[in-house]
Amino acid sequence: MIERMDLLRALAARRTQEIVVMTMTATLQWPLVSRHELDFDFLAFGMGHAGDFGMGLALARPERKTIVLKGDGGLLMSLGSLVTWARYAPGNFFVILLENRQYEITGGQPLPPRADFCALARGAGLEGGGATGKGKVERIETLGEFEKALPRLLSEEGPHFVVLPVTNSQPLPPVRHTDHAGRIERLRRGLGAR
Amino acid sequence: MNGASAQKTLAAVRALGFTHLLMIPDSECRLLYEAAEKDPSLPLITPCREGESVAIAAGLWTGGQKPLLVIQNTGLMEAGDVLRGCGLGPRVPLRLMVGWRGYGGAVAGQKPIDSAYTYTEPLLRAWGIPFWHLMGDEDLPALERMDRAAEATSMPAAVVTGYAFRP
Repeated sequence: MIERMDLLRALAARRTQEIVVMTMTATLQWPLVSRHELDFDFLAFGMGHAGDFGMGLALARPERKTIVLKGDGGLLMSLGSLVTWARYAPGNFFVILLENRQYEITGGQPLPPRADFCALARGAGLEGGGATGKGKVERIETLGEFEKALPRLLSEEGPHFVVLPVTNSQPLPPVRHTDHAGRIERLRRGLGAR
Repeated sequence: MNGASAQKTLAAVRALGFTHLLMIPDSECRLLYEAAEKDPSLPLITPCREGESVAIAAGLWTGGQKPLLVIQNTGLMEAGDVLRGCGLGPRVPLRLMVGWRGYGGAVAGQKPIDSAYTYTEPLLRAWGIPFWHLMGDEDLPALERMDRAAEATSMPAAVVTGYAFRP
């Protein structure tokens, strides 16, 4: 089990010009380790669809990776997305699934205990899939393994779907649902989109 | 009016500079879907459900592209949360072509009336999404009106198609 803040720090330390789309509890902790013009807080933009938004960005901006930090509860809200990613996700699409087995932001209610997210992704066709036919599905158990894998994951052609079991011992900052149009506009400005 | 030509509609879509089509086939848009499949100049994305379509389209637009969502009214209803979150709230000018399932039967007086027919226009009005009817080839300029409205307001706008597409 990986402490989530350690995972986020490790990613922030390696990240350069990639887009980072985050949702749910990641939106509360990622800003503690990153202030980047290509960070995008998807909270309140549509339950379960951060990865789909990220895939649209990845298709639109093939020159850089789009990293999506999302939770396992959110994935359960749109499992069909796995099949869509397996068909269309480009090589610069990289999903980090933060597996904590609970709806943490609403108080820690447990998720269905037997769901195997790597198996679901493989069953959807992501392994060897995506638009490139080079999709990869991985499970990484420790922070050390994640740090070791990051240079490869950030440079290798994907799409990538990586499951990381996480826990959190840190207090969460308060949730803010403000300025949705401003969030979009800032990201478009950062990308130079007209 | 008995439905627009799929080929002419696709030509109008291309002329307006759309970069991607997001569409799940339904009985009414089937011929438009099949025409789009054969057109390599306009990438076609077929998600599993319409909520995905809306979020993918919002991501494409944020990245500088111009997608068109072709979405049956039933899918529009399913996608309500993400249309709110990715379109109306953040002022993303999503362009929608909404298939009005049930229209043909309703105007012909068939009973029972499809509830998908009943709620389509009230729902668009409730969301504040302006819309124009596209019932035949003579209505194809509605696509440009919809496109201009979305651009001018930076908000979603729609055309509503009442009949199945013709070849």
